Amino acid sequence: MMVHRMLAKDSLLRNLKSGLTAVLLTSLLLAGCSSGSKENTPEAKPNDGGKDASTAIGSSYPLNTTETITSWEILNMNAVTFYSNLADTPFGKALVDQTGVQVEYIHPNDQQTTEQFNLMIASDELPDVIEYDWTGRSAGSYPGGPEKAIQDGVILELNDLIDQYAPNLKKKLEADPTLDRMVKTDSGKYYVFPMIRNPSGLVFRGPMIRQDWLEELGLPVPTTIEEWEKTLIAFRDEKGATAPLSVTYTGGNFEIRDAFIGAYKTSNSFYVDDEGKVKYGPMDPQYKDFLALFRKWFAEGLFDKDFALTDTKALDNKILTGQTGATVHLLSGGMGKWMDAMKEQDPKFKLVGAPYPTLNPGEIPFIGQRDFKYNPGPSKAITTAAKNPELIVRWLDYAYSEEGSLLYNFGIEGESYVMENGAPMYTDLIKNNEKYSLQQMVSQYSKPNGPYEADERRNWNTFPEQDEAVKVWSKTDAEKHILPGFLTPTAEESKELGKILTEVSNYKEEMFVKFIVGKEPMESYDKYVEQLKKLGIERAVEIYQSALDRYNSR
Amino acid sequence: MAKLPPPTRTSIPSNTAGLNPRKWGLLKDISKNRFLYIMLIPVLLYFAVFHYFPMYGASIAFKEFSPRLGIMGSPWAGWEHFESFFNGIYFWRVVKNTLLISFYELIFGFPAPIILALLLNEIRKTAFKRTVQTITYMPHFISLVVVCGIIKEFTMSDGLINDIMAFFGWERVSLLLESEYFRTLFVTSGIWQNIGWGTIIYLAALAGIDQEQYEAAKIDGANRWRQMLNVTLPGIMPTIVILFILEIGRLMNVGSEKIILLYNPSIYDTADVISSYVYRVGLQEFNYSFSSAVGLFNSAINFTLVIGSNWLSRRMNKTSLW
Repeated sequence: MMVHRMLAKDSLLRNLKSGLTAVLLTSLLLAGCSSGSKENTPEAKPNDGGKDASTAIGSSYPLNTTETITSWEILNMNAVTFYSNLADTPFGKALVDQTGVQVEYIHPNDQQTTEQFNLMIASDELPDVIEYDWTGRSAGSYPGGPEKAIQDGVILELNDLIDQYAPNLKKKLEADPTLDRMVKTDSGKYYVFPMIRNPSGLVFRGPMIRQDWLEELGLPVPTTIEEWEKTLIAFRDEKGATAPLSVTYTGGNFEIRDAFIGAYKTSNSFYVDDEGKVKYGPMDPQYKDFLALFRKWFAEGLFDKDFALTDTKALDNKILTGQTGATVHLLSGGMGKWMDAMKEQDPKFKLVGAPYPTLNPGEIPFIGQRDFKYNPGPSKAITTAAKNPELIVRWLDYAYSEEGSLLYNFGIEGESYVMENGAPMYTDLIKNNEKYSLQQMVSQYSKPNGPYEADERRNWNTFPEQDEAVKVWSKTDAEKHILPGFLTPTAEESKELGKILTEVSNYKEEMFVKFIVGKEPMESYDKYVEQLKKLGIERAVEIYQSALDRYNSR
Repeated sequence: MAKLPPPTRTSIPSNTAGLNPRKWGLLKDISKNRFLYIMLIPVLLYFAVFHYFPMYGASIAFKEFSPRLGIMGSPWAGWEHFESFFNGIYFWRVVKNTLLISFYELIFGFPAPIILALLLNEIRKTAFKRTVQTITYMPHFISLVVVCGIIKEFTMSDGLINDIMAFFGWERVSLLLESEYFRTLFVTSGIWQNIGWGTIIYLAALAGIDQEQYEAAKIDGANRWRQMLNVTLPGIMPTIVILFILEIGRLMNVGSEKIILLYNPSIYDTADVISSYVYRVGLQEFNYSFSSAVGLFNSAINFTLVIGSNWLSRRMNKTSLW
């Protein structure tokens, strides 16, 4: 029997369809078939038959309908602790009560969202609404972007629908031209109901450092590269930190991507310079200085010797056991989490946000982390499979109304929030729960992410240091220099770009690590830049430049 | 499938009885042993549905695949993806790494279980033998993710291996950041994990050797070493050859999961193999067509290798898979 097992395992057939081909083909097999056959019958479903219903639904909430909408969206990680479906949460139930619309939610598996999204598109079995990144700006979002998605017949162009049935969203878009520019395509098409971040939610990552160590050593919070070096040396020598500065490195993404680099007036990727020209940071001459700094820190044991192997779990361990005294990480997923974890074990443990370092004192960091008002991931598009787009639009528009906004941000009045002097405040049930954190409680009663406008008055930070950190991290020129995330290269350009970037980003990341660990001499920097050019980086910059020009003239 | 039970005298259907038995042999056989054939159907279906049918999807290697258009609907791209792989800057590196790692696995990893099996065979104390066997095959049941976690922990700059090295006055280095150690780590950890499991099959083959041959050898004055060379080894040779051919077939199929779990950009130059490259480009960067072209290229080489080694072995020592 053993023999049989071994033989079967290694059989020729298995080899034939080895590796990825196997995985892909089996999974896409059925998908491919069904979509192939459906291609012949282009759908002309929407827009007809909706007219009679439109008057019946009415324009005031709750809407008068018996239809059920299907919605594909991620269920918040914290909410999963309590419920497996959004419809069962207090929020989901309240939303049905208030809008009068029954919704059937389909939640993809958290780990395989992209795969499941791709399969869903390929199989052509679309729900009415899909909450996903359609911008095409990053791997994982819809390839080719929103124009392509509309052209492919996956989602609907929303211009007329918003015009007629979404007064609340329309008002917001008219009042905010910057936002308006972000959520439409080059040719002026709207394609989603956007998640709008509140101004304090734009900055959520940055350098942080052990305040209690600094106090003990009598050091100030470092602001320049020089001060950082001094501090890290002190951490190494006096506090016995084996990896004084450590960051995570997952999926080829380095978490110092925006910190420290800004001191040298460049970035770890594409950016916009002061003249409005697109540039690629990793081939700038200044980038070499940044590499040299980390090469030195690595060699002197100031920067984690195992940095390329550090994932979130390893970093947790290093921070909590005092091997690391400084890092670049998230506001709640890092700072809040670690302080929470150490509350009882070591009450002295305290992290504070440090400003993005600069070369000379008093300078403003060239770049930092700063996201955009429009968050494309948790934004909803309406698919071509929707039978009653008007109903869906009305349902989605509720989130931007006054009552809707309160529900989405704060939950249920009297239960999760109360009005105090005209301002909603979370109740003790949410804020001071014995068993669960604020984030966990909030996820049951409201929607942490999704298409609506985040309220400025809500605050999910648990520690005052977090509020402080946001202020500190916000003082950068990032807004000026970050390449807008909503550029839309044309289909041709996207194809070209995809090819170039695959090779460029692989090569850049590999060389980045090699320069830092000292395996590649600094002298080969010029050769490295040459190679980047050979891989077509200049063409990629050109493409982004023309996309940026189009964006600016939207 | 070739040998079916001899025909029984009963139940010869009347309509075929008068026909030429040679011409209608199969039909007759089917009608006679219809239950056996019915039992064969699910097996054939399984292979057709899960092993042959999916192969049509390999065509996306020649297409500009878009999920929405499906495999059939996507436009053809010809050899474009193959060309860009062959002309890419990583082609030689990944092919070289794949071959080297496989080659090391073959020369160090393949004989390891044979040697262990021979050693175990010489042990007379069953209790000790059982213990050794259990201990050596245990690691096989540890999930790969855990194994890689262990390897990572051990090789970190403050890990066990470094602790030992530091004790002898060596400098601490993060072993998984140094390309020159990767192959050694990969192959030795592989041996550690699979040696005991691989031994089982050889022990089974050993058990099948006729004891009388040993008696005869002893009478002829062969010591234990001689017995091993002249009786034991030839006895398990067919097993070794078959497993070797299978191993050759996997030559280009280095365990990509393990590599993906272990590697990082600083050691791509020795660790990146075809399958990990396929994974990176295909799944992480959504370049389906390109990566299936690379996968297809890999499979084609494997296929040739198996056919070739099978042919060679049939000519040289009359043992072969088919």
